[in-house]
Amino acid sequence: MNHLPVECPRCAFEEISLLATSPVPGVWDVVQCGRCLYTWRTIEPARRTRRDAYPDSFKLTAQDIENAIEVPAVPPLLK
Amino acid sequence: MAYDDLRSFLDTLEKEGQLLRITDEVLPEPDIAAAANATGRIGENAPALHFDNVKGFTDARIAMNVHGSWANHALALGLPKNTPVKEQVEEFARRWDAFPVAPERREDAPWRENTQEGEDVDLFSVLPLFRLNDGDGGFYLDKAAVVSRDPEDPDDFGKQNVGTYRIQVIGTDRLAFQPVPMHDVAQHLRKAEEKGEDLPIAITLGNDPVMAIVAGMPMAYDQSEYEMAGALRGAPAPIATAPLTGFDVPWGSEVVIEGVIESRKRQIEGPFGEFTGHYSGGRRMPVIRVDRVSYRTNPVFESLYLGMPWTECDYLVGPNTCVPLLKQLRAEFPEVQAVNAMYTHGLMVIISTAKRYGGFAKAVGMRAMTTPHGLGYVAQVILVDEDVDPFNLPQVMWAMSAKVNPKDDVVVIPNLSVLELAPAAQPAGISSKMIIDATTPVAPDVRGNFSTPAKDLPETAEWAARLQRLIAARG
Ligand SMILES: [Zn+2]
Repeated sequence: MNHLPVECPRCAFEEISLLATSPVPGVWDVVQCGRCLYTWRTIEPARRTRRDAYPDSFKLTAQDIENAIEVPAVPPLLK
Repeated sequence: MAYDDLRSFLDTLEKEGQLLRITDEVLPEPDIAAAANATGRIGENAPALHFDNVKGFTDARIAMNVHGSWANHALALGLPKNTPVKEQVEEFARRWDAFPVAPERREDAPWRENTQEGEDVDLFSVLPLFRLNDGDGGFYLDKAAVVSRDPEDPDDFGKQNVGTYRIQVIGTDRLAFQPVPMHDVAQHLRKAEEKGEDLPIAITLGNDPVMAIVAGMPMAYDQSEYEMAGALRGAPAPIATAPLTGFDVPWGSEVVIEGVIESRKRQIEGPFGEFTGHYSGGRRMPVIRVDRVSYRTNPVFESLYLGMPWTECDYLVGPNTCVPLLKQLRAEFPEVQAVNAMYTHGLMVIISTAKRYGGFAKAVGMRAMTTPHGLGYVAQVILVDEDVDPFNLPQVMWAMSAKVNPKDDVVVIPNLSVLELAPAAQPAGISSKMIIDATTPVAPDVRGNFSTPAKDLPETAEWAARLQRLIAARG
């Protein structure tokens, strides 16, 4: 494909990187958000690939990402 | 009748009319997940699906729903495909008694055919990855057998764990990984992270059908899944040595991914549509760096759809969750007749038991909550009499409706442990738990008017077996 999407459908971050291209040239790319790590294929339905069509219930903010709980919690180091 | 790899099992499924090859071109999304989702909505003997014409890929081979019906589950255990569920669980419990059966090590694993290492690792070039549910954070490996060892006791074969965990692909050589705190790999990771060390790990994809069953089975910490696979197969499980980690991995895997869980690191993961029928995440989860990938030429990528039950996941872990609870309860309470823990991996359990004395059934319910699996699951227990089949839900509802006096027979215990994925937990990991005693009260618990029950006629059991034979013979 010619150019990468400009923003993450989920968190609106504007650094998108390329993870894979289709083995048949030019059919699709797999791209990823540099902040929330959301990964999508460029030919997926709009509800998964476009910010304006992405469901509000799945959207993430920078705070959501920073404040997400650790599972499992990192244990204390043993001396 | 033991299968050494996924391919030979797919051949049997095809011969038995339980594999559907989809040769028309499909989209990677949403078609593959939607088709697998649909298998859970077309009846309980749905086939496995095989896709080999996926848009944009040149030689993708994708298998879905391999365990996703009672017929397929029976065939995985080498049983006739029309074996009733209760009999499948009983046969499973019977074979368990052969545990442990030592595995057989083989050198010529077919996944040695191809290797990627270090800088050259690119999971997207080996696997036709795809998304399952709309809100998933990305593409997942959700049917792997993941092998890890106890860092404090690496030579103990029994403590080597083989389990299924959700794994998100977050880079060409990076994975996010979810170890639920109750599960064995979380103990391995804690021990490694306490020392500031990475935890080596091997992830095997596309395994023989019994390996997938034992990897999703609640077993004791020091019990070997390979020795259990041998018991369930009725033949030693074939294993091989993974080249980088030296771990024992299934001989027949399609793909073996090796690397480390990076110590003391967490990164955003998820959400993922889980077996609870709800999304969970995003949370900050451990991260895996992949150092080596070994794979069969033209590997079959096996995955499973999960979402609102029932899906393949429920057929895969339903019977294997019933059996350990049955065994552990019977060890001290031989009165226990049968255990149905097939709903949401045992978040709700139905137990049929005889009564030693008044109040006994409630004790069986409390014991179920304190078994190793029960600590993270078993939030609701329904106790029914010894003559009620816990797999026969209309019978269970009869017992609930006729035998329960809510004030005396419903017990709620606050603030017990449950896995963090349980949607009703508050806070995550904590839940109240409930016992519903739908058994007939016995002395000295004298309540109700249960003196004249209607029983099945004495000849009924014989006729039931006769009718089943006639129906099976009709095909
Ligand atoms: Zn994002």
